[in-house]
Amino acid sequence: MAKDKNSEDYVGPIRRLAVGLLVLVLFGIFLFWRIDSPRAERLRAEAIDTFVPSFAWAMAPINGVINLISDFESYQQLRAQNQDLRRELQQMKAWKEAALQLEQENAKLLDLNNVSLDPQLTYVTGVVITDSGSPFRQSVLVNVGARDGIIDGWPTMDGIGLVGRIAGVGQNTSRVMLLTDTSSRIPVTIQPSGQNAILGGDNTLNPPLEFLEDTAMVRPGDRVVSSGDGGVFPADLLVGQVALGTDNRLRVRLAADYQRLEFLRVLRSQPHEEIPDPTDLLAPEAEFFGPAALTPSALTTSEVGDG
Amino acid sequence: MAERTDARTWTHRAVFLMLAFVIIVAQLVPLDMRPTAWAAPDLLLVITLVWVARKPRYLPVLVIAFVFLAADFLFQRPPGLWAALVVMLTETIRRQHREFRQMPLFVEWGTITFGVVAITVLNRLALAITMVPQAPLGLTLIQMIGTILIYPLVVLIAHFIFGVSRAAPGEVGSRGQRI
Repeated sequence: MAKDKNSEDYVGPIRRLAVGLLVLVLFGIFLFWRIDSPRAERLRAEAIDTFVPSFAWAMAPINGVINLISDFESYQQLRAQNQDLRRELQQMKAWKEAALQLEQENAKLLDLNNVSLDPQLTYVTGVVITDSGSPFRQSVLVNVGARDGIIDGWPTMDGIGLVGRIAGVGQNTSRVMLLTDTSSRIPVTIQPSGQNAILGGDNTLNPPLEFLEDTAMVRPGDRVVSSGDGGVFPADLLVGQVALGTDNRLRVRLAADYQRLEFLRVLRSQPHEEIPDPTDLLAPEAEFFGPAALTPSALTTSEVGDG
Repeated sequence: MAERTDARTWTHRAVFLMLAFVIIVAQLVPLDMRPTAWAAPDLLLVITLVWVARKPRYLPVLVIAFVFLAADFLFQRPPGLWAALVVMLTETIRRQHREFRQMPLFVEWGTITFGVVAITVLNRLALAITMVPQAPLGLTLIQMIGTILIYPLVVLIAHFIFGVSRAAPGEVGSRGQRI
């Protein structure tokens, strides 16, 4: 340092001051984010919304090279794969028969019971643009956003199972927080025992089941579906199967294929109809029989109802 | 920053920006959404440290702040915190880079190791104080150790491919300015 003191005599302090200011500004951004997280996250969503879709040209070659390599690897294993596929096809044929029969039976039963399935569950399909870019966060960015009517909190599925929920919406993009993220908590029901639990992500592929009332009633292999508790998610979306982890905790083997998420369905989930007052549900007051109907207030309401 | 800069420096700055862009985009490419049991080294941090320790002229502090702030935003990290810590670390190294010239690589590596451990601990500490949910400790440690171990390799790559190496004592730029 000593030998070039003369050249840095006047630049040094000013530069140090500027750098200090820069660090302060950066810490200021962090504090702003900490204090007003929703606004900062909205800013982040907007920034990503503006810049990331234009990265597509840069990602295409990387994607291409990696696909080429994986294709090449799969050529090498062609024979083994072919045999596997044939065996699987045999099994699938058996399953297809079973499924067809079940479908017919199901249709008949639905018809007999006059069941109307929830007609409001439509979806928007989006393409995955990027992942979170960090091993600590499990989320992906999809190319549908506020423009397509996406709203925070909507559930997202791939073809088969639940993948995550919308957390952050920009104009053209939105972020999907995957079930494996450490801050993901989803209320689920385990079929057939009907036990309720919370599926809490912990940055592993098979998230554990938390707050399970009676673990004895749950067996590995049971189906896990969303329960719709709390009004956040629609009920009965397939999540996966129960499995016993190596740490002896009950975990869920997710039905969605996390290895390759390309297209995601964002379900337009309508808010539940709320039932604020349980007495209104039982019957209108006017139709009470017995002593309750003889009180003056009940009489007046019944007259109003008749008129 | 008041030093005059020649065309070569500007080219090297552009090369660094390109490299940072490629690293960020490569990390964003959606290949496999399964959570991994290990974390890759923080390449962006390593190249920044190598560049600063070897040729700080190629890497103005504003560029570092901009690149890491952008990375914070894109990678869903708390924005600003990691960028500020990296700027502080690079400034410390920048002040020492003249001493690095005469030292063996091990001393440089040791200093870098100390710096990386320090900012990782400070980062976790700051997040703990402000009660922000943290990444799993194991993953952070794996990433930190990987980042430290990969440093000499990146030094070699920077030297042979990108021409970023220590300036010899007494070396001057193309216009005769001090380096």
